[in-house]
Amino acid sequence: MMTTAVPPAVPGGLPYDDAEMPLALVQGRTRRYVLRIIWTSTAFLVVAGILGLLLRLRQGEVITLGDNFWYAMMTAHGLGAFVAWAGFFLMGVTFWVLMKVGLPIRSFILPEIMYWTMVLGVVGIVLTTLLSGFGGSWVFLYPLPFFSAGQWSDTVTGIFAGSVLLVGVSILAYCAAVLQTCLAPGLKAEKDTLGQRIGLALGFGLLFPSRFRTRRGTIPYPVLPFAVNAVDMFLATLPFAVLLVLNIVQSVNNGFSINVLLAGNLLWAFGHPVVYLLLFPAAAIYYYLIPRYAGRELVAGKAVAVAWLIALTMNVFVWAHHLYMNYPDGANVQQTLGTIMQPTTYALVLPSALSLYSIAATMYRSNFRWNVASKFLVAGIVSWLIAGLQGIINATAVFQDTLHNTLWIVGHFHNMAFLNMGLAIFGAMYAFLPELMGRPWWSERLGSWHLWGTVIGAYGWVACQMIQGLEGAPRRWAVLPDQYLTLTHISLGFLALLVAAQLVFAYNLWTTLRTSPFEDAKAVTVHGGTQP
Amino acid sequence: MGMGIAIGYLTFVALGLIIAFAVLWSTRRGRRDGGQGVAIEKAERAEPWWGVVVLVLLTVLLGITIWQAPWFTENDDPKDVQVKVTGVQFGFLVEPTAVRVGQDVEFNVTSKDVHHAMGLYNPRGQMIMNVEAIPGYTISRSYHFTEPGTYIIRCLEFCGYKHHEMIYPVFQVTA
Repeated sequence: MMTTAVPPAVPGGLPYDDAEMPLALVQGRTRRYVLRIIWTSTAFLVVAGILGLLLRLRQGEVITLGDNFWYAMMTAHGLGAFVAWAGFFLMGVTFWVLMKVGLPIRSFILPEIMYWTMVLGVVGIVLTTLLSGFGGSWVFLYPLPFFSAGQWSDTVTGIFAGSVLLVGVSILAYCAAVLQTCLAPGLKAEKDTLGQRIGLALGFGLLFPSRFRTRRGTIPYPVLPFAVNAVDMFLATLPFAVLLVLNIVQSVNNGFSINVLLAGNLLWAFGHPVVYLLLFPAAAIYYYLIPRYAGRELVAGKAVAVAWLIALTMNVFVWAHHLYMNYPDGANVQQTLGTIMQPTTYALVLPSALSLYSIAATMYRSNFRWNVASKFLVAGIVSWLIAGLQGIINATAVFQDTLHNTLWIVGHFHNMAFLNMGLAIFGAMYAFLPELMGRPWWSERLGSWHLWGTVIGAYGWVACQMIQGLEGAPRRWAVLPDQYLTLTHISLGFLALLVAAQLVFAYNLWTTLRTSPFEDAKAVTVHGGTQP
Repeated sequence: MGMGIAIGYLTFVALGLIIAFAVLWSTRRGRRDGGQGVAIEKAERAEPWWGVVVLVLLTVLLGITIWQAPWFTENDDPKDVQVKVTGVQFGFLVEPTAVRVGQDVEFNVTSKDVHHAMGLYNPRGQMIMNVEAIPGYTISRSYHFTEPGTYIIRCLEFCGYKHHEMIYPVFQVTA
């Protein structure tokens, strides 16, 4: 049996010491709720992963699929992998981490709304894409949903938009639940007003300790990204919800239409920040777990608080970098937005750069505890650096002549979403599942195989896509031009390794679920991870 | 430009990986001294300076690149040829279909139905221009052709189930 459970807080150490977490709380309703989300989101991963594999096999001309079915699968894969797996998982684990830093869920009404609207929305997306043929891609760039060339009806567009709207409601419920949790009495503000709690949750206590004082020392650092994310995703989801409602209106009233430039802006007002729905909780997981493996507090000061305030304000003012190529003659507003949002997007580099500094400084010359969980986390952090540098390139307007809508972009977001947030998810699974399931992982060796197979397989595949993109390979093409076929075939070899690694993981998980719980093993404590 | 982007990117990735490897390697020493041999306060004090370094690098990049954004590089000078490119599911209407080497050509790109994009590839298969085709709007982009041959236009904005077949294969640039 392996020992990847979360190590206890440093003796006498961390300001947010959770070593004395009551067992009843650990084994209570939050545990069951978070586990339910982990299993559900992992089931979504299986479906989305199979779809992704089929997409690439078709591009490699290994299998044959109908053209519209390929694009319908692409639509389901995009939403399924990004939101239904990674987003949903991280939304659920948010509440576990918050509980462990002393901020348990205060009411399960919002979290349950979050769960069921996500599940219903995902079911609707699967039905409208794979069964009814909606293949407008996950961005369904208006007015494409109403120009299907006979492949799906306006009614299907309306149901698809309604399904995505349910996912949006899930995200809104998550934001409200996180704010309800983060602004709880557990913050122990000296002046217990709502303004004080908001200020503390957003990191003002680090900047102005005399004005925002608590009776618990410093506010736990993981709270900052969670709170910032909740505020920003609330603001970002609303314009997207408006766009979805307008799509539904047009699906029942053909005389109605939307300005295409306005529609693009409403889409990307959500479409970029939704990346942070994944990245910020992943950052919070790093903030929470890395100090425990390093055996010291997170090395962070006021600079990190400033960085998260920059994220709070800039995150909702970056959408137009997705519209750099939309600068029609005479539409100066769009050009001005593009000019403004290159520097605002650059500003978002600061939270990443400072977080990476903090994590590196925390690890530097520490007595770091290496196990499968911590290795997954470190691999994810390195990917954050690698993919973050790609992000700077993508944020630079002049480079879009070469990169926009090429496979470079596809490689980039798989690098960021799968190899950063995805590895954080696997790290969190290895770290948290022992205490969530009440049993240790079955095999350390299989965990290592999972790690290396995932990292090598995914980087090989992503690198192929990025090179193809630099050579001009177009994005979202069911059949790529012949000049790109060799690299597609090479990437399939790496994908096979990636799939094999996930099968190893599935076997390890399945066997773990059939092993004795900690109580029977009589050795491993919930927090300790001691070897029998 | 693709090669330049790759070289610049890989340079910074290499630097980052060297630093990351040094941090990971340092944990071996940390294991020997129990993680006690490092000044945490010093690292905390240095953090704002790291932020300043990042800010300066980004400001330099911004100063160099922002003025090269496509909407800044176009001018109102008269061009030798106007080429109208109209996207429609699932093909391009191009008029005229040929230009000569040495001409300044202005492409006026639009769409009749959904979003498309004109990805212009030179005879060696390299993409040299990427212009969005927005229904109801026109984007004008100029290009000075120096290489004769057959250029290809591919659609680079997803436009429906035959998106990958939306290719205009014979835009001629004659000597």
